[in-house]
Amino acid sequence: MQTNLLLLTVFIPILGSFFLPIAGRISKNFRNHLALAFVAASFLLSLIILPGVLAGKTIIFTKFLPLGFNFVLYADGLAVFMSLVSSLVSAIVVLYSFGYISHYDDQNEYYFMVVLFLGSMLGLVFSANLIFLYLFWEATAIVSWRLIGFFREKNHVLKADKAFLVTVFGALVMLLGFINLYQQTGSFDLLVIKDGLKMQAASSLAVALIMAGILSKSATLPFHTWLPDAGVAPSPVTALLHAAVLVKIGVYVYARLFVATLNVEQFWHTAIPLICGASALVSAGAALIETDLKRVIAYSTVSQIAFIFLGLSIGNIIGLAGGLLYILMHGLAKAGLFLCAGIIEQKTKVRDITRLGGLIQTMPLTAAAFILCAFSVMGIPPLGGFFSKYMVMAGAFNSGNLLIAFTFLVGAVMTILYLFRAFNLVFLGEPKTEPVKEGEPVMVFCVALLAFLSLAAGIFIYYPDKVVGTIVQQIALIK
Amino acid sequence: MSILILPIFIPLVAAVLILATRGKPRGLKEALTLVATAATLAISVQLFGKEISFILPWIGHGIDLSLRLDRFSGFIVLFASLFAFLTALYSVVSMRGKDHPKQFYFYLLIILVCTNAAVLANNLIFMLFFWEGILLAIFGMIAIGNKNAFKTATKAFIIVGISDLCMMGGLAITGYLASTLTISQIHLELTPLASIAFVLLMIGAIAKGGSMPFHSWIPSAATDAPLPFMALMPAALEKLLGIYFLSRITLEMFKLSAGSWISITMMTIGAATIILAVMMALVQKEYKRLLSYHAISQVGYMILGIGTCVPAGIIGGIFHMVNNALYKSCLFFTAGSVEKQAGTTDLERLGGLWKQMPITFACFVITALSISGVPPFNGFFSKELIYDGALERGKIFYLAALIGSFFTAASFLKLGHAAFCGKASQENRRVKEAPLGMLVPMAVIAFLCILFGVYNQLPIEKFIQPILGHARLEGHNFSGFPANAWLTLTTIVVLIAALIHHLIAAKAAGSGLKASEHIHHAPVLGTIYQAAERKWFDPYEVGMKVVHIASLLLMAIDRIIDWLYDGFLAGTAFLASRALALLQTGNYVVYIVWSLVSAAVALAFMVK
Repeated sequence: MQTNLLLLTVFIPILGSFFLPIAGRISKNFRNHLALAFVAASFLLSLIILPGVLAGKTIIFTKFLPLGFNFVLYADGLAVFMSLVSSLVSAIVVLYSFGYISHYDDQNEYYFMVVLFLGSMLGLVFSANLIFLYLFWEATAIVSWRLIGFFREKNHVLKADKAFLVTVFGALVMLLGFINLYQQTGSFDLLVIKDGLKMQAASSLAVALIMAGILSKSATLPFHTWLPDAGVAPSPVTALLHAAVLVKIGVYVYARLFVATLNVEQFWHTAIPLICGASALVSAGAALIETDLKRVIAYSTVSQIAFIFLGLSIGNIIGLAGGLLYILMHGLAKAGLFLCAGIIEQKTKVRDITRLGGLIQTMPLTAAAFILCAFSVMGIPPLGGFFSKYMVMAGAFNSGNLLIAFTFLVGAVMTILYLFRAFNLVFLGEPKTEPVKEGEPVMVFCVALLAFLSLAAGIFIYYPDKVVGTIVQQIALIK
Repeated sequence: MSILILPIFIPLVAAVLILATRGKPRGLKEALTLVATAATLAISVQLFGKEISFILPWIGHGIDLSLRLDRFSGFIVLFASLFAFLTALYSVVSMRGKDHPKQFYFYLLIILVCTNAAVLANNLIFMLFFWEGILLAIFGMIAIGNKNAFKTATKAFIIVGISDLCMMGGLAITGYLASTLTISQIHLELTPLASIAFVLLMIGAIAKGGSMPFHSWIPSAATDAPLPFMALMPAALEKLLGIYFLSRITLEMFKLSAGSWISITMMTIGAATIILAVMMALVQKEYKRLLSYHAISQVGYMILGIGTCVPAGIIGGIFHMVNNALYKSCLFFTAGSVEKQAGTTDLERLGGLWKQMPITFACFVITALSISGVPPFNGFFSKELIYDGALERGKIFYLAALIGSFFTAASFLKLGHAAFCGKASQENRRVKEAPLGMLVPMAVIAFLCILFGVYNQLPIEKFIQPILGHARLEGHNFSGFPANAWLTLTTIVVLIAALIHHLIAAKAAGSGLKASEHIHHAPVLGTIYQAAERKWFDPYEVGMKVVHIASLLLMAIDRIIDWLYDGFLAGTAFLASRALALLQTGNYVVYIVWSLVSAAVALAFMVK
């Protein structure tokens, strides 16, 4: 029963996505709602699976194939948490798209790609076989490539190519790492690999190769510049792929492989936070200089991803819990910021923040949602981001490495600065554009919902923290 | 559930209810706020003197919903609730006809919620949650002020936010070193790492108090934010919070000795803040801005007092915290009355108001005498204790405090002279006394200023000395008249000097307002003042420039990395494919040679 639910979670969006273009021929409305239904189904199914998984019952579906290519879906707390976050944000983004994308061509392709993306993402999340993980990984890259170049302008297609090339290059290097693991253990099956490498640390060569893939997908220095460039995509796509979900793939795979499955050499617990610290500072600096609203938010994503990596890689419990909470809090808040940017862009046709201003007078709701989401990213109580930021910082300070801790403290300060700069330039001061109206109701509803969820996640921190706490316990127990 | 959550819960419920009101019936918001703050005050009176603790599991990792009531937290909650109530009372009249009353009362109550919770918290992270939560209320409260307010709100948010982040780091280290987050169980030796933690926590505390270099938002807020906010936050609650936490870390959480470099650092920050801020206050020509610089300067006395790490100084510092909260909020209230009745707080346009506004003037005189440290008002006694402590640690600190007193007195003589005495201008002739709702809070506070001076046994013996406990007091009792007659005499001489200075300077310059102009334009000082007025010394402005330059550098790194992809890699790929294309000549003979050579190489490998 549970296994069937798991299969449905993954395959409803994957298979369902192919029906959307057909549905689009019948009726636009039907297609839109069907897309939302598929995505919402994944969310609800994950929610149904969650209690059992948290109680300690993992769900495994195995289809035996030769040569270690077994197709294994494996649901533990970590995977279900990730699928919940991904499908929740996806559902809100699809709803927002009803308003946003209705102005453009190729809507069939859009919904097809977005739902297929979520399916591939969930496939990746639940895959316990490295080869299938790799396949789903590349599937998300292809979908992402189509979506970034969605408007088909020459420049956009070039940016899409860049994103594709960088992430696929990373993925190929990662595949070499997987093969290296295969040579050590004779399997691509994570459960087998875990048993095989129970006592020893994974070879640093494998870790280094896999890290190249992880860092390129999660847009971390030195593989990060594709992410700001990918801001040419439609705003809901940016929110979904480049803030909330796709860029979390690398983070998730890091947690899956190097926290929950393998042991890594002690040296990585310092090296990875240092790389990420550099990434956090460089991108925060860029976010303070950039003038394109979406690029500012994209750089902010790069910077915040570094905090997630810090939490996961620092090697203590509170950091790990903080890193996982961060995935949720950042997903909600950053999706909210990008969706606000989408409203602003669509209404004013301007993306340069120095040419915007005074929008709070005409778009008060969008402004309120924007500042609330920004507060969450900054880590201001009572918003959810406060708890994740504190736990990650506590993890850094508890590691005893003050260099890392202070680097991220500076990063956190810069977060406040660049988000306020963006807010002030866009919403305050004198209006510089033609007077505009508030965005469409459905779009404003979505950003307000995300802001509300960011707030609720902080006030009712007990619940997300309980889920994360249980996951961390499970991981600690297995090891 | 415990009675202990009521000081947090009552204002919270009222705040939520206010959000739900829809404008009608009129006065509902005000009534809710008054009832909630009065109830909170009543409960905090009940709670004072009791020792209760209360704990509920919250989120894991040692983060509990843990509250502790002891002499110190009970005392702070009592005064915080008192100020909230008086400010609410004052605001009912003063905010009438202003924009965004709903938000104003909501933020006011949230500030009380956060303050009470942060003070009662016995868990570091629970405390931080509310401590930092005040940030949003401050931001909102300033933002509903005048047209420039949003910019000032941002400035306040950034400055306080950065200090809160430092505090977050300090708390993380403290929790790590002590292996507990329960405040009452933390007693750390000052190891190097613990010193870093202490400094980070101290930054959070003194920044909340408004000390330099975290002060520069306060003068901007004075002109832009709604006035009751100034009386409530920078004048009162922020001092209570900041100095409360500073005392907690110096007295309990860390074992700080008088000889440590941290003590010297604190005293230096205190002394510098006293002098620099009072010098700025002296030359202000706007009622509220002048007061705001004193709000900064006075926190210097408290930090100096606590930093001395000797009983007299600590008692003086905490006593000064209460006294300052009293007279400073009352002074801001008088500014509010003047603003409401005369329509301006520009000292150039004020004058002669004492006739029209006698009660406001009386309250101003009492509180101005208090802040200047004139006996027998409350400020005199707390300052004497701080002098005593400072003198014990070093003459230079005492001297700084004394110079501060001279200029404090000078600037209040100037303010009183310019606003209330002198000749009334034509437009001021028809000004009337402020309404009763605004006079009552001022009168209550002015009365307390006298009471806490004349009968200082009440605050010192009942509120403050129990905080330190018998062991730390070493049998001393600091109430009553100062023990050191020489110190008192020096103080009085300095005050008289300030009076004479003012009289001469005012006569020479022709008006009370211009009595400080000879200092403003003195040879070296004038240049410094000019630079300060251009914001060259504003740490916020300077910091922003530094960050901008650093960001340009970081951006350059980012662009270089991006060039590696877009320029270098793409270029290399292009050149490589051009080079390979050259090999494709289309000549069959060449292709056959290529094939044969490759086959030979392949064969060689296989054979080997």
